[in-house]
Amino acid sequence: MRWLRRAAPHLVLIPFSLAVVLPLLWLLRVSLTDRRTAYQIPPEWSTPHLGNYVEIFTAYPFATWFWNSLSVALLSTAVALPLATMLAFAFARYNSGGAPLRLSILASQMLPPIVMVLPLFAVFLGAGLLNSRTAVVIAHVGMNLPFLAWMMIAFFEGEVRQLEEAARVEGATRFQAFWKVAVPVAAPGLLAAALLAFIMSWNEFLFALILTGKRTATLPVGLSTLDTHRGVEIALLAAANMVAILPVFLMMPFLRRYLIKGLSLGALK
Amino acid sequence: MTAAIAQRDRWFGFAMTLPGLLALLLVVLFPILFTLWTSTSDFTLLKPSNDAFLGLSHYTQAFATPEFRHALSVTLAFVVAVVVLEFLVGFAVALALDKVEHGKAVYYVILLFPLLMNPIVVGLIWKMFLHPTLGIVNYVLSLVGIPPVDWLGVPDNAFWTVVAVDIWHQVSFMIVLLLAGLAALPKEPYEAARLEGAGTIRCFFWITLPLMRPVIVVTLLIRLIFAVKTYDIIYIMTRGGPGQATELVSYYIYRRAFVGLDVSQASAMAVILLLVVLALTAWLHRYMRSLAQ
Repeated sequence: MRWLRRAAPHLVLIPFSLAVVLPLLWLLRVSLTDRRTAYQIPPEWSTPHLGNYVEIFTAYPFATWFWNSLSVALLSTAVALPLATMLAFAFARYNSGGAPLRLSILASQMLPPIVMVLPLFAVFLGAGLLNSRTAVVIAHVGMNLPFLAWMMIAFFEGEVRQLEEAARVEGATRFQAFWKVAVPVAAPGLLAAALLAFIMSWNEFLFALILTGKRTATLPVGLSTLDTHRGVEIALLAAANMVAILPVFLMMPFLRRYLIKGLSLGALK
Repeated sequence: MTAAIAQRDRWFGFAMTLPGLLALLLVVLFPILFTLWTSTSDFTLLKPSNDAFLGLSHYTQAFATPEFRHALSVTLAFVVAVVVLEFLVGFAVALALDKVEHGKAVYYVILLFPLLMNPIVVGLIWKMFLHPTLGIVNYVLSLVGIPPVDWLGVPDNAFWTVVAVDIWHQVSFMIVLLLAGLAALPKEPYEAARLEGAGTIRCFFWITLPLMRPVIVVTLLIRLIFAVKTYDIIYIMTRGGPGQATELVSYYIYRRAFVGLDVSQASAMAVILLLVVLALTAWLHRYMRSLAQ
C-alpha cells in the first residue's frame, strides 16, 4: 500500500509531462531535418542538420523581426517600469489614489486588446504613426504599465518599512527613502517583474499585427505570415519557432520565484 | 505639525503617481473614450470627418446581428469548456505535484514551458502536428488503427481541437496557482482528521476544498477573464472557421473592423465586450479585497 501511495502522483505527472515535452521534442526534431525529410510520413530519420537555423535568416527577414521584437519589448518595458514603480510606491506607502486607483489599474490590465486596438489604429493612422515601431511601443506601454504597477504594489506592500523609516529619521527625503532604500530592497522583484513585462511584449500579437507594417513586423507577426508563405516550409517554420521561444525559456530560472505573484496579480505569494 | 506632514505626504504621493497616471490616461483611457465616441457616431476610416451622432443605434444593431450573437455564444461555450477542463486537469496535476516525493522540481519546470510560449508559436506547431495527411498526430493514431481525423476542417472537431490546444497552452496557469495554494495549507486539520479515521477522499472534500476556496475563486476568475479575450490562437489556427464554428467574439470584432472596415459597428461590439470584462474584473477586485481584510 505504501508503494502505491508513493507511485500514484507519478501516474498523473508522467503522462502530463510527456504531453508537454513530446510536442516540444518533436518540434526540435523537425527543425533539425532537411526540408524533404520534414514531410515524410512515416517519419524518416536522418542525421541532424542545422541548415534551417541559417536559412531562416536568408529566406525570410527573420533578423529584422527578431530585432523589432527585441527593441519593442525593451523600450516598452523601460518606459513603463519607472512610471509603474513610482506609482506603486506612492500607493503602497501613502495610499495615494486609494481604492479607485487600485481598481483602475486592475481594470486597465484586464482590458481586451481588441477594444484598445480599434481606437489606436484610427489615432495612429491620423497621426501618421501607423506601421511604426513607436506605435507598438505605445500600445505595449499601455499593457505593461498596469501589469508592472500591480506587481510592484504587491512587492512594496510585502516589504518591511523599518529601513525606510530609519532613513527618514536620519534626514532622508521621501524620494531618497524610495530611491535609495525601497527600490534596492525590491530590486530582485523589480527585475523579475521587468522580465515578465518583457515576455508579455515579446509574445504580444494583436497590437503588433494591426499597428506594424512589413518592415516593422515583430516576431509573432512575422511567424504568422510564414503560415501562408509559398506553402508551409515546416522545417524552416520549426526552426523559426524554436528561435522565438528559446530566449523566453532561458529567462525561466530568474522568473520561477516570482511567477506565482505575476500570474495571480499579487493575490498569491 | 502632523497636519503639515500629512499634507507633504499627500503632495509626494501625488507627484509620484502623476507621470504614471498621465501615461495611463493617454494610452488607456483616451482610446476607450475614443471607442465610445466612434461607437455612437457614423465614423469611418475612409472619411474620418463623417461623424454624425447616432446614439445607441450601433448597439441595438449589434444585438440584432445573427453573426455577433453567434460569436457571443461560441465564446461562452469556449470559455466554459476551457475554464472547466483546465481547472479539472490542473487541480489533478497540482494535487499530484503537492504529494509527489521525488522529481518535483523537474515536473515543475516542464509544466512552465507552455505557459511562457508565444501563442502564435503554440498555434503554428499544433496546426503542423494536426495536419490531416502530413501531421504526426494522425500518423501516431494510424499505428493503433485509428483512421485519420480532420482536426480543423469539420466544425465540431475544430471547436474541440482549439479547446484542446488552449488547454495544452494554459493549463499550467491553473496548476501553478493551485499548487501555491495547496503548499500554503496548514497541516493541523489533516492530522486531526487522520486521528478521527478520515480517509484521503474525505480529507479532500472536508478540508482541502473548503480551505482552497479563495485560491480557487481567484484562479478561476483570472483565467475566465483571459479566456473571454482569446484571439491569437483563433487567428493562427482557424480564422474563426470552418464557417463560424470557432469565431470567438474578439476575432469577429477584428474581422468586422479590419476586413469589413465597419469601425463604428465594431466599436459598439467592442464596448459590449469591454463591459462584460469590466463586470468580471469588478467581481474579482471585490473578492480580492474581501480576502485582504
